[in-house]
Order: sequence, then structure tokens, then C-alpha cells
Amino acid sequence: MRALLLLAALALATPAQAQFRLPNVDFNRMVDKVKQVGKATMEIKEPEEIEIGRDVAARLLGAAPLLANAPLQRYVNQVGRWLAAQTERPDLPWRFGVLDAPQVNAFAVPGGTIFVTRGLVERMASESELAGVLAHEVAHVLKKHHLKAIQKGAQTGLAGEALGTALRERAGPERDKLIAFGTEMYSRGLDKSDELEGDRLGVVIAARAGYDAYGLPAVLQTLQAMNAQDSALALMFKTHPSPAERLAALDKMQATLDAYAAQPQLVERFVAQTRR
Amino acid sequence: MRALLPLLLAVPLIVVAAEPASLIRATELKQEPATDAATVARLPENAAVQALERKGGWIHVKAASGEGWVRLLALRYAAGPARQGDSGAKQLFNVARTGTSGTEVTTGARGLDAEQLANARPNPAELAKMGAFAAEADAAARFAAQGKLMATNVAYPK
Repeated sequence: MRALLLLAALALATPAQAQFRLPNVDFNRMVDKVKQVGKATMEIKEPEEIEIGRDVAARLLGAAPLLANAPLQRYVNQVGRWLAAQTERPDLPWRFGVLDAPQVNAFAVPGGTIFVTRGLVERMASESELAGVLAHEVAHVLKKHHLKAIQKGAQTGLAGEALGTALRERAGPERDKLIAFGTEMYSRGLDKSDELEGDRLGVVIAARAGYDAYGLPAVLQTLQAMNAQDSALALMFKTHPSPAERLAALDKMQATLDAYAAQPQLVERFVAQTRR
Repeated sequence: MRALLPLLLAVPLIVVAAEPASLIRATELKQEPATDAATVARLPENAAVQALERKGGWIHVKAASGEGWVRLLALRYAAGPARQGDSGAKQLFNVARTGTSGTEVTTGARGLDAEQLANARPNPAELAKMGAFAAEADAAARFAAQGKLMATNVAYPK
């Protein structure tokens, strides 16, 4: 839209330029630039989404490394990949990781990288709870919630052309700025409506994968019961609606939840895998 | 790594221990975890209960008027340190990690606070390691079958 206005403004300006025969104004080049800006603001293609995601994931891993437990990391990847297979983006390079951090949180990175903290896994009681959390994050990737937020913020923070540069060139100050912004987004959080959509779709994705659909609500109950002053919760509570509000919003999903409540919780497998 | 094991072991035990909770709306206490099960009692809004284990969308509770099952979405655990799960687990973790029962560890020297996210430098080595743990679709399908997970069609809401 802004690009269109710019084009219109340039078109209006043209007769004056022609009249004064300004030697240094290359009208075609200006139109190209405006088109470029328009392109960058409209759509980030999937390969670019994946590359942005890898760069943001590398930064998050700089804040907290992976938990040094290879069997647990493989287990979480199998749960996550099975969930992702039930969605409209089954072929993304899905990767799941448990971060060695005491905080209680989970993160979805554009392009199919998902993190859950040790602090959150420690508070889960079954594989269906793990699946519920991972499915919520998978939903963020499907709906490109973070990608859209990064893009929106980058348009404000980076001039139109600089965003195009940041997308095209993987090294450089524009790229650094974009990725730094993308990482900081996890401190600011998404819109509340994105989080509630993640919960609704997460319940459906876990049910599709054959899990007890109440895994995510059960985790939300655990979180709701924790002391809100607990420092391990600070960032998650700042960036998400309260667990009580999220549980209340899931009342609308009760029919779906109940229809798939009797599917496996897989308590034993979860305990066996997390105890190794 | 070993330090983590005691806590992960302890978690399911904490979850099945009776925990104080209350009801956010008037709710039927059922004999079994099912809508068509016999009603043991009608519990009023804000009724205090002791919550035991979960089965699907139902929580096994002990109430003043008897024992039975209530809907998960009608129940909220009591918040705060009074609940055994958090502070208890955290103390276990501290004991395991540091050999003391101090509480200073809970903040964490590193991790995922806003400040640490803002100052994070890329860690490409960890990113590469993560790629090595990725699961292929067919391996994930076998893993699901081992757990008797059956894929099923469920429509998105709306």
C-alpha cells in the first residue's frame, strides 16, 4: 500500500522532473526500488523463512545451549516430528530441542525450529503434555506468527530497502539488525490472539497425532498453580496471557477435547525417556 | 547431567500427590471419569478439593462430600508456594545441583531472561548439534506406532 502511494507520488513528480531535465534522476531505477520495497514487505519466501529461523535459533542457543542428554533430545524430536506430520507443513526441516535453562518456557522459531526449556519439561507428567506444548509451538510456525511479527517490526526498524538487503544477504549489518530484532521478539511476545490461536490449534494437532487432547490444558493448569512471583516464570508470564485466561479460552474447545480425551497419555514412556 | 535425574524421577510423584484446588464453577462430582457416570454430589462454585491424578479431561478429587471425578476445565489448583509442586521440586533441583538447599540458584546464572536474550551471541555449534538430533518422518511414524498413537482426522476450529 505504501509502495503504491510512493509510486503515485513519483508518477506525479515525473512531469516536473522532465520539465527541469534533472540529470541525476533515473526514474526507472526509482521505480525499481519502489517495487523492491513492495516485494520485501509483501512476502518472505519459505527458504528465507527457514534461513531467518536458523539465524534466530543460533542466537537463542547462545542464550541457553541444548541440554546435554542426546536420548532425550532424540525423543523430543520424534514426538515433535510426528505432530508436525499431521499438519499442512509436514515437510519443513522440523527440529526440536530441549534448552538447558531453568526458566519455564517454549519457543517457536520461523521455519520449523522449536525449543522447550528443561524447566518446563521437568514440570510435565506425560508424553501427551509434552505433545500439547510442542503442538502449540508447531501452530505458531504454521501460522507464521513470529515471522509476521518480525517482518512488521523490521519494517519499522529498517528502511524498506534495508529489509530487502537483510533478507537477501546473510552477512551484514542489516541482517544482524533483523536477527537481533527477531531474537528480542521472544522477550516481547506475540499478540494475545496469536497465543490463544496456538492453544486451539495445538489441541487439534495433538488430537490428530493420537494423543490425549488434554495434555496442553493439563500443562496450563500446572503453570497456573505455580507461584506467579517465581523468577523462572517471569518471561513466560510477561509474553503470554495468564494460564487461567488460556484455560478459560479453551472452554470453547471442550467438545474436541472430550472427543479425544481417551487417547494415550503415555506416562510410562515419558518417565522412562526423561529419567535416562 | 546426572544432577537432573533425581528431579525428573520425582516429577510424576509430585503430580499424583494430593494438591489443594478449587472449582471455578458449580460442578458434578462423578463416580467415574465420564459424563454419563453416576453423580456422587453437586459441588458448588469455589468448593475446595484435594486433587489426585488426571485421566483425560477428568481429575480425581477428594471433596468434603465424597470422592470422585470432576472436569479438568472446572478445576484450578491453588496458586503459590502453598502448593507442593513448585517450591518442592525446585528445592530438590537445588539439592541435586549444588548440594545445598539454597534458593539463589532458581534465578539461574544464564538462561532465557529478557536481558540474556538481548545479549545473546550466535552459537552455530549448538545449532549444528540440534540438526543431528532431528527425526525423519518415517522414524517418527514408527515411534508413534510403538506408543499406539493412531493418526486421526480432526478439523481445525471454525
